[in-house]
Amino acid sequence: MKRAEVLVALGLLVVALVVLSQAIHLGPGWGEDGPRAGFFPFWLAVVLGVSSLWVLVQALRAPGGAGARPFFPVGGRRLVLTVFLPMAGAIALLEVVGFYIASLIYLVIYIRLTGRQGWPLTLAVGVLFPLITFFIFERWFLILLPKGLFGERLLPF
Amino acid sequence: MEALLNLAAGFEIAISPYNLLIAAVGVFLGVIIGVLPGLGGTSGVAILLPLTFTMPPTSAIVFLSCIYWGALFGGAITSILFNIPGEPWSVAVMFDGYPMARGGRAGQALALAFIPGFLAAFIAILLFTFFAPPLAEIALRFGPPETFAILLLAFSTFTGLGRGSPMKTIASAALGFILASVGLDIVTGQPRLTFDVIILLSGFSFITASIGAFGVGEILQSAEERLEFRGAQGKVGLRDLWLTVRQTGRCIGTFITGTVLGFWIGVLPGTGATPASFMAYGLAKQYSRHPEKFGSGAPEGIISTQSAAQSAGIGALLPMVTLGIPGSPTAAVMLGGLYIWGLTPGPALFVEQKDFVWGLIASMYIGNAMGVLLCLFLVPLFAAVLRVPAPILTPLIILLSAIGAYAVKNTTLDVWLLLVFGALGYIFKKLNYPLAPFVVALVLGDMTEEALRQSLIMSGGSLTIFFTRPIAAIGVAIALVLFFLPALAPLARRLLRSARPAAAPGS
Repeated sequence: MKRAEVLVALGLLVVALVVLSQAIHLGPGWGEDGPRAGFFPFWLAVVLGVSSLWVLVQALRAPGGAGARPFFPVGGRRLVLTVFLPMAGAIALLEVVGFYIASLIYLVIYIRLTGRQGWPLTLAVGVLFPLITFFIFERWFLILLPKGLFGERLLPF
Repeated sequence: MEALLNLAAGFEIAISPYNLLIAAVGVFLGVIIGVLPGLGGTSGVAILLPLTFTMPPTSAIVFLSCIYWGALFGGAITSILFNIPGEPWSVAVMFDGYPMARGGRAGQALALAFIPGFLAAFIAILLFTFFAPPLAEIALRFGPPETFAILLLAFSTFTGLGRGSPMKTIASAALGFILASVGLDIVTGQPRLTFDVIILLSGFSFITASIGAFGVGEILQSAEERLEFRGAQGKVGLRDLWLTVRQTGRCIGTFITGTVLGFWIGVLPGTGATPASFMAYGLAKQYSRHPEKFGSGAPEGIISTQSAAQSAGIGALLPMVTLGIPGSPTAAVMLGGLYIWGLTPGPALFVEQKDFVWGLIASMYIGNAMGVLLCLFLVPLFAAVLRVPAPILTPLIILLSAIGAYAVKNTTLDVWLLLVFGALGYIFKKLNYPLAPFVVALVLGDMTEEALRQSLIMSGGSLTIFFTRPIAAIGVAIALVLFFLPALAPLARRLLRSARPAAAPGS
């Protein structure tokens, strides 16, 4: 937990410094007719910098070691990653084959492998979800979902 | 009187078949969102927001607000039957609701949540109906300094009344503001913080950020918790209704306190139903004649929390329509929706968009009535949603989130950002950085900056403008006190203690 606290505070501090340098570049002060573009970001960066520095110092002073609560509960890291990584994979797939095919593949793999559900249920969800979303979004609400590089050719309708 | 005429006109809009259908669908989806523990009301509203893009604004706000009402009801079902909070605001309902349900009185526990909850919402809507127009009239005279003072007040309530570390609250808000300022400068049109990446010129969308931070973050968090649903069966019978009405009559004081406190907490910017329910529970216990019964199935415990939560939900929309400031994180997402539908939130709505405002108010009455009826009759159906295995729900929610993020600007970049914000939300939650200030800052960033810069232009760069105008001065003064409250409170306590050294001998 302590290491995570320190890392996040450091990350926020870096963001603050980057924004600070950009704001100074844009002009943090008074222009011809009012505050310049960098004015608001400059002070935000100052506020973020001070508060993250405070959190950082607090985190460093806090007692760490073996007794502290870990960031992940036992086995938690694996459980979180089994949600996070397939999601990233599905988005990558979406770029290639489009939303509908990607969601079919993602659902079938995820429900079958991590959920260990039977094939009939897996396939039912995997096929029905893209179909229902197609009619709701594409037809009813006229929201066109991403087709990816090849989706248009794979689903020509 | 004028309010009643406007309300009648509002009802004409709200009971059009299309809007009634929209309201019913919204409440139904809202209850399901409320029941599901991994999906909060804020993320639910954010995920479904893109569905409203093609609706007329009035139907759109009816849809979103009805989701909110449904979620306020639905959270209690999971809490009472399964001892797992369906929503953060129904944690306190669990304390007495679950013991009561386990003792074989599940139906009564549910009725004690729904009926007083509905009555509280009804009273809150009445307050809303008659308070909103005069407040909007005052707010119409606000200039940039007053607007900035109110916004400052909104953010100070996060540090002053929030439960987490004040420095983490400030960092979270500052990060939200910084992301909001990415893109073209609102005054000079210069690109800012874009690092020459063209796609960043249009800035970050609050929808992507809130779906990611709240929705995906919640899913990641519930993934590691491995929830198991083993709980009581519940059905509300006629006898339960009758007992509830009598019980509520006996605890009328608790009920009124919860309702009024909830409404007030809801109106306060940034604090929604969650703190309201906890505070009402604490108050009810403190002033109860038999506080020892709390935690083992006391009816007051359920009545106070649920009435406070539902009345806070209504109250949260009051500053949104009258001042353009959200009263809760969920209201912040709706407020962002207003911009997307082409409306400017704030007092001018009462003049320029009468149909919108009064249609919304009328739909509050309808939506809450639908909510209580649906919940009373369909509890077994909603509880069955929890039997859907998590490995099926999780990918479905993720895909719906992806649609929501994509639909904002039709770019897949937003879907990738969902991952980034999801990780951010997950990490922030684990380390107790509050997420509400982050999202509210992202929604209100442009408005805050504009108010500040215009004020400074008016005064020629002097900060005294915030102290020489009465309303602005009061706002800024209260805001400063709230900002420094976390620092001042321990100091004051220490001073008091040293003044009375004999008060605590030996400790």
